[in-house]
Amino acid sequence: MDIKYIDPFIQSFSEVMPQLGFCNIQKGDLREKGQELTCSGVVIVVGMVGAIKGNVVYRIGFDTAKTIASTMMMGAPVDELDEMSQSALAELCNMLTASAATYFYNAGINIEISTPTLFHGPNISVSMSSRSVLCVQLNADDNSVEINIAFEE
Amino acid sequence: MEETRIVIVDDSSFAITLIREIFETNGFKVVGQASSLEEVKEIVKSTKPNLVTMDMTLPGTDGFECTRAVHEIDKNIRVIVVSSMMDEELIKEAQENNVSAYVQKPVDADELITAVKRVMASEELYKFLSEEYFGVFKEALMDGMNRMTKTLVTYTEEYTTNKEYESQGMTIIIGIIGKFSGRMLLDLSIKTAEDIAAAIFKREPKNDDETMAALGEFSNIVSGNACSILNRKNKALGLRVAPPSILHGDNVLIAASCFNTTTAVSSTSYGKLLLNVGFQRSEEKWT
Repeated sequence: MDIKYIDPFIQSFSEVMPQLGFCNIQKGDLREKGQELTCSGVVIVVGMVGAIKGNVVYRIGFDTAKTIASTMMMGAPVDELDEMSQSALAELCNMLTASAATYFYNAGINIEISTPTLFHGPNISVSMSSRSVLCVQLNADDNSVEINIAFEE
Repeated sequence: MEETRIVIVDDSSFAITLIREIFETNGFKVVGQASSLEEVKEIVKSTKPNLVTMDMTLPGTDGFECTRAVHEIDKNIRVIVVSSMMDEELIKEAQENNVSAYVQKPVDADELITAVKRVMASEELYKFLSEEYFGVFKEALMDGMNRMTKTLVTYTEEYTTNKEYESQGMTIIIGIIGKFSGRMLLDLSIKTAEDIAAAIFKREPKNDDETMAALGEFSNIVSGNACSILNRKNKALGLRVAPPSILHGDNVLIAASCFNTTTAVSSTSYGKLLLNVGFQRSEEKWT
């Protein structure tokens, strides 16, 4: 899969996270993965259709998810991943994907996105919609969010 | 189409007269007017409009506070801001306050009427989708099961909720995109998934990949067929489906969505199968 499809997500993360109270944005590993992902924590799935068709799966560990939700809610303590913090995280992924869609649009690639669905659990396996998956790790103040992208052109 | 009943909120009686005349000349019904937060609450409660035009500057309050008050009474009432002030900051705040359109004063009659028609058409379309979609998805699931496994689906329970629930083992999620975006979820136990896959292949699946491929394709067909039927009923919906993602594991919880979804519990020849579908009211595309 062409690596150019990852750039809009990196741009979007760098733009959105500072608006939510995170200062230091860093790009971590970028790699290609297989279709199967396993995860402990929070998984958020957003569908995409248009010039390219596929899914974006955000993976966030439990502790990181709580820290991000707390920051998004002006520092309100988040001990449990309750409905409010789940809603904040789903909204975060909606914003990140919508903003990435705008960057795609500016690059001449028109896509539209579905509503996000959030899952959580200690042991989740995700089978992505295409065989090759691009994965980028992005950090906001040392809070790591993994973005997995499966597209068919 | 349902009659549009309008309340005009403005602190200037001149502006109210002008806006009322534009609406009445174009065949819309103005059911009330208000100039303060208290009046807004009172008039909206008593006249039950489906559209409110909102000035931004009002004595002792502002258009956004009044918009929130309107939506506290009924979140389905659409609000169009009609104000002399219009800048990026205000438009952003208007969107955050669920305002459906923004028209700048001096009011151009065509612009206002176009905004009202656009907002109400979208409202009408969402209502149509809300009434139609679940029956269509249930039918598509029955049809898909019948055609792919030659067995029947019987629905035992149906409810609308936005509460978290625990997966039975496997969840197939399909994002839906169009005039309104949403999702379809199928949830079932691993055993049920394997048995459905076996019925589709007419042999035992060789491995988990085959089971997931079969269920992915099955879900794709169900959601694709359902969306096609809805599009045929009203082509303005323009619904399309994203490819399936499949999640499985122990104790996987599926979070509540920010909009109501409908769930039907069904009994199949292979075990319990849960169908969950929902659409979000679209955010207006601002021009």
